[in-house]
Amino acid sequence: MRPRDLIFLVVSNLRRMKLRLALTTLGVVIGTSAIVLMVSLGVGLQRSVVDSLGELGAATHITVMTGYEGITGAESKSLDDRTVAQFEDMEHVDSVMPIVTVMSVQELAYKKNSTNANIQGVAPHKLEEFGYKLAEGRFARTDSEIVLGAAVPAMFLGVFPGSETANQPSLDLLGKRIVATVVEYPSEEAYAQNPMTEPTERTYKLTVVGILEKADMGTDSSVYTTLDAALEYNGATTRRPTYETVTVKADSAEAVADIEKALVAEGFQTFSARSIQDATSQIFIIVQVVLGALGGIAMIVAALGIANTMTMSIYERTREIGIMKAVGASNRQIKRVFLGEAAVIGVFGGLGGLAFSSAGAALANLFLQSMIAASTPTGGASEPTNFFYIPLWLAIFAVAFATGIGLLSGVLPAVRAANLDPLVALRHE
Amino acid sequence: MTVAVDVRDLRKQYTMGETVLDVLRGVDLTIEHGEVVCVMGPSGSGKSTLLNIVGGLDRPSGGAVVVDGDDLAAMDDERLADYRRHQVGFVFQSFNLIPTLSALGNVELPLVFAGVARADRAVQAASALESVGLGLRLDHKPTELSGGEQQRVAVARAVVNGPAIILADEPTGNLDTTTGHEILELIKAMNAEGRTFLITTHDRAVAEAVAHRIVYIIDGSVVKIEQGGVA
Ligand SMILES: Nc1ncnc2c1ncn2[C@@H]1O[C@H](COP(=O)(O)OP(=O)(O)OP(=O)(O)O)[C@@H](O)[C@H]1O
Ligand SMILES: [Mg+2]
Repeated sequence: MRPRDLIFLVVSNLRRMKLRLALTTLGVVIGTSAIVLMVSLGVGLQRSVVDSLGELGAATHITVMTGYEGITGAESKSLDDRTVAQFEDMEHVDSVMPIVTVMSVQELAYKKNSTNANIQGVAPHKLEEFGYKLAEGRFARTDSEIVLGAAVPAMFLGVFPGSETANQPSLDLLGKRIVATVVEYPSEEAYAQNPMTEPTERTYKLTVVGILEKADMGTDSSVYTTLDAALEYNGATTRRPTYETVTVKADSAEAVADIEKALVAEGFQTFSARSIQDATSQIFIIVQVVLGALGGIAMIVAALGIANTMTMSIYERTREIGIMKAVGASNRQIKRVFLGEAAVIGVFGGLGGLAFSSAGAALANLFLQSMIAASTPTGGASEPTNFFYIPLWLAIFAVAFATGIGLLSGVLPAVRAANLDPLVALRHE
Repeated sequence: MTVAVDVRDLRKQYTMGETVLDVLRGVDLTIEHGEVVCVMGPSGSGKSTLLNIVGGLDRPSGGAVVVDGDDLAAMDDERLADYRRHQVGFVFQSFNLIPTLSALGNVELPLVFAGVARADRAVQAASALESVGLGLRLDHKPTELSGGEQQRVAVARAVVNGPAIILADEPTGNLDTTTGHEILELIKAMNAEGRTFLITTHDRAVAEAVAHRIVYIIDGSVVKIEQGGVA
């Protein structure tokens, strides 16, 4: 039997049971829609959560901190130029950026406004290398020049990152003079000699030469100065500096996990947006499976519907099966005809379900987005979230799965039809 | 003449609980190419059973049925389907056409399962329908045809594969005398072209009209073989 003839037989058989076919297919449409909507909700939530985790930092960056002492028994590792060089030699490491965090910023003042934003000491060319983008101005060239994170000007007005509103006031600080007050607490020896030693305050006059583009939250709220300046504010020597954190840039996001593993094995503490995203994604796989299984219950009902329809229509066509066998149809050919019918129900149900759930997801997204827009003061200024998201793999999977379910539900009835005794079938009324 | 079908010591038993029913008790029968053989006998004597076994729809309990050199008893299901597809044609008392297919579609059906290409199939089926006088009824559904016309479609379906033998079980049983007579004329015309038939009937006049030989079966055994009216 040729494939075209098989299709012809299948289609002409299906055409005479239109109503029953429509109802059975509707069952598959509902089953497929249930699965697609459930899983797409899982995927949509995953995407929005993982995307927002991306604000923790760039995908290829790993923040390395000195390890804890005592827990593992490993000695505490310090981050100095030797370790930086060591990191630079690691596989898949593009670049390493040591950071000196100024410990004791009292305040940064511009005229009457002030803030206590972090000051980070970083070599300016490293900032460029690590993908920090300037919205205005340039990077620092001298120790008295600073670059501000995107949110810092607003912080001078008491607005903190994440609580911005539309049309908020802002300060234009480019080229302006800022006064930093740094407190130096007495060293341990000084304290031992004279417990009454007062902390000393020093002030520095700094010029804003650049403002960064909006990036992750940590960057947005930091002020960047040079390494030497930061060391000086901390009262440390520049001869053998140690760093609070070092940022390692991997050559790809995929390499991040391996590099982190190696660093942890060395006794360092690490942090990356990527590894948190990975861990979160894993949790969401479970969420998707659970949601998909819930939708699958509707599919089981649909499968029973197909099996029932096929069994009934085969019973009604018993005599025709006898005729087909008498004129030379083999068991295998009979089986194919009925499996084909079940598969067609599956395909159309799957396609219908995909269309239905796509429309449903789009409507639900519009509805949810408009609800959110109505309840947030920014008027939905940020990008709209898709709570239901149907990726290509889900669409393909849904149709394939529905077809598979159709075939599977048709197997038993089709095998029964194929194994009918031709004489018994011919005598059937 | 060459042998088309050789039935040797054919036995068929049905076991119904405790009792064993001997439906065929050692039938011997040879049918030659180009021959029309009628099987007569009382109801329940085993005529249809004999036909169904020769047609590969039923399996013998013993003995051999050799068609063009192949023993049906030795064939598996797949091979038997292949045999039905290529070497026999069936005509039933109750026509047995598929109601949703046109006359042409019904006649094409054996060719579909034989894998004949669409274009060839339509030509062969149309010419078979023409040869039974239904050249103008190709697109009629069975319900749009008279009983006699339906049986003609069935005859066309039986011959379209060019089988070694055509088996007809009471082909005129559901038809009035005149219409039945037309079917018998059709069988005679096809026999004149060289086709071989094995036909069961209750009606002596039918047998006399078409048969070269008439085989009498009583209670599963051949009791007499006579020359028919055509011989
Ligand atoms: N599947 C079966 N199981 C049991 N007995 C059967 C079966 N098929 C046929 N028989 C029996 O075999 C015998 C012969 O049946 P068959 O149909 O061959 O008779 P027949 O000669 O064609 O009769 P009729 O002239 O009425 O058509 C009958 O007694 C019938 O009851
Ligand atoms: Mg009979």
